[in-house]
Amino acid sequence: MSTVSVRYIVSDVDEAIAFYCGHLGFAEQMHPDPAFAMLTRGDLRLVLVSPVPPGHPGGGSRPMPDGTKQRPEGWNRFMLEVSDLAGTVDALRRDGVRFRNDIVTGVGVKQILVDDPSGNPVELFEPIRQEARLADR
Amino acid sequence: MAPDPLDALRLPIVPVEPRPEFADALLRRIGAARAGRAPEPAGPQAATVRYFVDDLDTAISFYCRQLGFQEEVRSPGAFAMLYRGSLRLLLSVPGAPGAGRALPDGTVPAPGGWNRIALQVADLAAAVAAVRDAGARFRDDIVTGVGVRQIVLLDPSGNPVELFEPTAGYHERSRPRMRGDRP
Repeated sequence: MSTVSVRYIVSDVDEAIAFYCGHLGFAEQMHPDPAFAMLTRGDLRLVLVSPVPPGHPGGGSRPMPDGTKQRPEGWNRFMLEVSDLAGTVDALRRDGVRFRNDIVTGVGVKQILVDDPSGNPVELFEPIRQEARLADR
Repeated sequence: MAPDPLDALRLPIVPVEPRPEFADALLRRIGAARAGRAPEPAGPQAATVRYFVDDLDTAISFYCRQLGFQEEVRSPGAFAMLYRGSLRLLLSVPGAPGAGRALPDGTVPAPGGWNRIALQVADLAAAVAAVRDAGARFRDDIVTGVGVRQIVLLDPSGNPVELFEPTAGYHERSRPRMRGDRP
């Protein structure tokens, strides 16, 4: 067993901490700088950073050498398994959480995309075939 | 109840080809079941990440050869499932059924962005040299931050992958070995 690290670029770290801990079951491990926080959920370590200027001590969200700034965007995402996707989605919608699409049924799972407050995607999925399930393997 | 070794045969969620990589993955699962362990490396705590890639075979080759992933499932042209320790990496091709399909407004998923997996290495300079020799591209140079040194690597589709090496004061649990590690 080892920790899996994922870094997300967010526009506001405090807002992101409230979202991930308040809605998606993460626990805050450290938040030593306004531009940095580390959360955990099972073996997933989620590193939240907001863009910083070139001289900032934090190395994970500085601009690239060509000046390109890191920002929240894209489609790559971490995924969280839930046992009742429809129920989870209803509860999150009542809390005001935004979704990018509706529930999609794929080969092994039903899935949906949550948007975090910065617009980063998080995929929630419910296995509909045993092979796609993590919990019972 | 003892694990049923035949569980290993109930694996493929999508059609797979009889390839050596799949056979290897199957043997690992059978071996783990025989030894009375949960099939490695998946577990209830495994973390899952999905990346979009333009070319599935090129991406699988990159992640397995350069970064120490193991292939478990491949649905040609559409989807693959790789493992590295507790990380389950799903590779999806934009436009393919399932996660690759367009949103209701027509938007199609694409590779790219800045969100990324971060893989720990023991010797960052050596790891960078090894993957650079293999032709990999980097988005920046090695950056020294707080507790880690890091660099952003690009996969063949332009997805970022962060490699990091802990510096003084950093504590971490065990992890899989990868190219460039000190012996």
